[in-house]
Amino acid sequence: MKFSYSWLQEYIREKLPKPKKLAELLTMHSFEVGEVHPVKSSKAGAKQFNGVEKMGPARIATRSVAGGKDWLLDIDILPNRSDCFSHTGICRDIAAITNSRFQIPDSRFQIPDSRFQNSLKIEIKDKELCPRYTARVITNVKIASSPKWIQERLKICGLKPINNIVDILNYVMLEMGQPLHAFDLNKIESVSFKSQTPNPKQIPNSKFQIPNKPKTIIIRRARLGEKIITLDGEKHNLDEDILVIADLKNLLAIAGIKGGKKAEIDKKTKNIVIESANFDPVSIYKASRKLNLRTDASLRFEHKLDPNLTELAINRAVSLIQELAGGEAREIVDFYPKKVLPKKIKLDLNYIEKLLGVKISRKEIIKILKSLDFKTIQYLKSNIQYLIVEVPTFRLDISIPEDLIEEIGRIYGYENILACSPLVYLSPPKVNEKVIYRNKIKDILVDLGFSEIYNYSFLSQKDVEIYRLKEVLELENPISEKQKYLRPSLIPNLLKNSKENSKYFKETKIFEIGKIYSSSFSPPHQNFGSGGKEKEKLAGVIFQKGIKGERLFYEMKGIVDSLLNQLGIANIQYDDYFKNEGWENEIFHPQKTAQIRIDGDFIGWLGEISPFITKTLDFKEPIVVLEIDIEKLIKYAREEKIYLPPSKYPALIRDLAILVPRGTKVAEVLNEINSRGGPLIRDIDLFDTYEGENIPEGMKNLAFHFVYQSDDRTLTDKEVDEIQKKIVWELENELGWQIRK
Amino acid sequence: MSTQEIKKKYPKEILQAKDLKGLDLVWKKYLGRKGEINKILKNLKKLSGKERINLGKEVNQLKKEIAEKIEKKKRILEKKIFKVAVKKEQVDVTAPGKKFPQGYLHPLTQIIREVEEIFQSLGFLVAEGPEIETEYYNFDALNVPENHPARDLWDTFWLRGSQKIPNSKFKTRLLLRTHTTSVDIRYMEKNNPPLRIIVPGRIFRHEATDASHDIQFYQLDGLMVDKDISVANFKAIIEIFFQKFFKRPIKMRLRPSFFPFTEPSFEVDIDCLVCQGKGCSICSGTGWIEVIGAGMVHPAIFRAAGLNPKNWQGFAFGMGIDRLAMMKYKINDIRLFYGGDLRFLNQF
Repeated sequence: MKFSYSWLQEYIREKLPKPKKLAELLTMHSFEVGEVHPVKSSKAGAKQFNGVEKMGPARIATRSVAGGKDWLLDIDILPNRSDCFSHTGICRDIAAITNSRFQIPDSRFQIPDSRFQNSLKIEIKDKELCPRYTARVITNVKIASSPKWIQERLKICGLKPINNIVDILNYVMLEMGQPLHAFDLNKIESVSFKSQTPNPKQIPNSKFQIPNKPKTIIIRRARLGEKIITLDGEKHNLDEDILVIADLKNLLAIAGIKGGKKAEIDKKTKNIVIESANFDPVSIYKASRKLNLRTDASLRFEHKLDPNLTELAINRAVSLIQELAGGEAREIVDFYPKKVLPKKIKLDLNYIEKLLGVKISRKEIIKILKSLDFKTIQYLKSNIQYLIVEVPTFRLDISIPEDLIEEIGRIYGYENILACSPLVYLSPPKVNEKVIYRNKIKDILVDLGFSEIYNYSFLSQKDVEIYRLKEVLELENPISEKQKYLRPSLIPNLLKNSKENSKYFKETKIFEIGKIYSSSFSPPHQNFGSGGKEKEKLAGVIFQKGIKGERLFYEMKGIVDSLLNQLGIANIQYDDYFKNEGWENEIFHPQKTAQIRIDGDFIGWLGEISPFITKTLDFKEPIVVLEIDIEKLIKYAREEKIYLPPSKYPALIRDLAILVPRGTKVAEVLNEINSRGGPLIRDIDLFDTYEGENIPEGMKNLAFHFVYQSDDRTLTDKEVDEIQKKIVWELENELGWQIRK
Repeated sequence: MSTQEIKKKYPKEILQAKDLKGLDLVWKKYLGRKGEINKILKNLKKLSGKERINLGKEVNQLKKEIAEKIEKKKRILEKKIFKVAVKKEQVDVTAPGKKFPQGYLHPLTQIIREVEEIFQSLGFLVAEGPEIETEYYNFDALNVPENHPARDLWDTFWLRGSQKIPNSKFKTRLLLRTHTTSVDIRYMEKNNPPLRIIVPGRIFRHEATDASHDIQFYQLDGLMVDKDISVANFKAIIEIFFQKFFKRPIKMRLRPSFFPFTEPSFEVDIDCLVCQGKGCSICSGTGWIEVIGAGMVHPAIFRAAGLNPKNWQGFAFGMGIDRLAMMKYKINDIRLFYGGDLRFLNQF
């Protein structure tokens, strides 16, 4: 919010620190100050300003910066400090920080003429939404431009000058923080018996029709379908959630947000009603968002204002209007059924020290509170020293002792609180296993040549279509079509990464660990809704330019083996792909995909992307991916290692090539060999798979290394050859496999 | 040849051998199967006892001598050969080495690990929570009521189709969490103080993106609660953290701020890394960089978590991990973290 330096000076008796210094002090004790820069007023403005100074708009000594030069301070008012959306509000803080004296603006004006009464009636239909409504009629004003000094100040604060009445009301808003509005009294409908046959729907409460034709202002909720044209000429459709100011026939304003065209002040206006009201912040907040209409008034009301401010502000406005636009003030009309009184808070002095971690003297504490207009009474009860603090009603942010401690802390200065290490019992830090294993998984994959990616959690409409994703969670308010859904798999974005990186790299190995989301995951717990719609996954993608066949599949399988082994997981099993209900049906090649299982428990997929998808994404080569559930991986991971001591005796190697029907699984062959070979076979390694030329149709050739070894003696060629011969004989004769010699 | 003759001749012949082939001929001539030494040995049995013993000794001695000398000469010759051969061979030390496939950890992972290590050394436990959060945990429990301007501090992504149950304490309207502070409540519901936790994690904001704003980023929230944890304690912990993280002494300042879940609230600035506080474009000329939002836990938060605010007090803070990474590595665009471009990621 923009503030004028010279204007601030008006409410401080002592000379203010220089603008930059003032900004620094405010930053350290109240609010962060952004921009601070000089503004040049026009010459006319400056002159006028000096002229007015003698006359004294506020009848106080105004110190202007030399030559009409002023400074703009852009102050970032915190949202709980509605009292500071004004120059006087900021000055209260400045007075406390700089140890100077604050003075409120003068608001004396001529006593109203009591002959004119009852010219205005106020009718509040919804007292909850309008705790106070103060209004005053002024007759015979002269509409003109406002004086240059007002115009200059409005401009510095970002407001456009319009005419003297509107400008004065805006001026008082910037000065005191209370939004004000003026209606042209003559444009407000008054009831006359002969001319009006009021629609009973429009005037539900007809007892307020008063014979001497007073003007009636009604504060009520809008009806669904009602429309208003605001001062800027925009038309707004209203409903029951929006509070309006109306007369018996028309809508005059959207309460607390913007005035209507109907009773606008124009050049011919003579008699006016000034409104100084207090509205319910939630109602204004909702209405302003519903209408997408944010104004200087709505900003202040939605942050909640002190109802006691309406009278002070209206008096100040009347005083300025009489001075600058003439006119006679009439009786005040004030609807204020529940007067807001100052709160009292009990403040334990020891608690201040305990919470801030610094000892501040009682004297200092009281001085700080007083400088902020708090009243204090001291008590001493059974050795506990405490204060009863009376909070001024404009400090709506203060309701508990901690709020007061913040006031004391910030004015005292956080820089004066010295760092002090906490005293705590020594306890071994607990560790989060999940974090440790997640880090370990990442390290293993990086060692295996994978680079880690962080993708967005979102997918586009197009992604959802390509992968035919189901049960996808959708955003109610997406930023763009590209980021409209929450990813139910890490794979689509990783494939995009592979594609993009294939422009620069021949080979890419990438992985991501992150959350995936789906509405199909178990619904959130009735009360707590924790994590029911997300799971953590690990996904990896290998891409290699020019690669053909299944090599990548086996590379990825080797990676999975290596990962699981290093996590201490044994009993890994790979099963054929099964058709299921999920998105996997679209993404995987059903003949080239495996389920990964640990102790029979399904933990994820490993496989080639379906040719349909690779074609859609414009890949020429097969791509292999994996997606594993992190929770399950961590569940099976083990820290302990089991080892076998290496044998002291030499090993003997035999090779064997077996011709088997094409559909035969390697695992089957290994099982058959192991069951026949006995304990001396230490290891069997598949080193080649071949089909094609020189191999009969429908067959494939598997070549193995056999490693024979004993833990207690050196094996002889003879005994190994005998075992090998027995295996060969049985494979040929019992299974009908052909051994290639 | 007699031993005398051999003794006289062979050194000369070894000396004259110019290459291994020549030397091999010398070896054959004396030590070969049909060589001079064998010839003498064959005739040895014709001699009588004592003579045989003496000559035998002498011949064997000679045989050893010749073998040694040939071997010596051989090494000299071989050295010469290698010298020549080595001159012909050469590697180009400037040619590139064989490329091994190498993986890289994401820079944010590295920063998160560093941060976690520092806080773990100070006794903090890493806690985690869901990214899809309820309105209750993200806002209401944190003292941010509905239709309050304070909500505007967090632009929120809402999930379609999640309905609010009226009058229920725990609203089920779902959103993408706007901070990991929601985990503070979840943790305190299940764990009694004293406690020290940090909560790193992905968060989301519904806002226009540019070089310093993105719709998702990482936050680190911290919480320390005990009987008498104070602002002074907070200053100490955070100062230690930054000095360890940036590996230099830092200047730090606290400014008043407002967060619904802390009272008092403050913002923490540290002196700009680039200009060391002199003022530059990075710190918009102020010399300070805002790094943390923090404060003393508001009593309403303790109550929401089922704790009695009279018994406990503590501090909470939140900082942007992406921002820390950007400061540490001097990265000028936050969106690089989520672009998946290996030309960027493979530099960390």
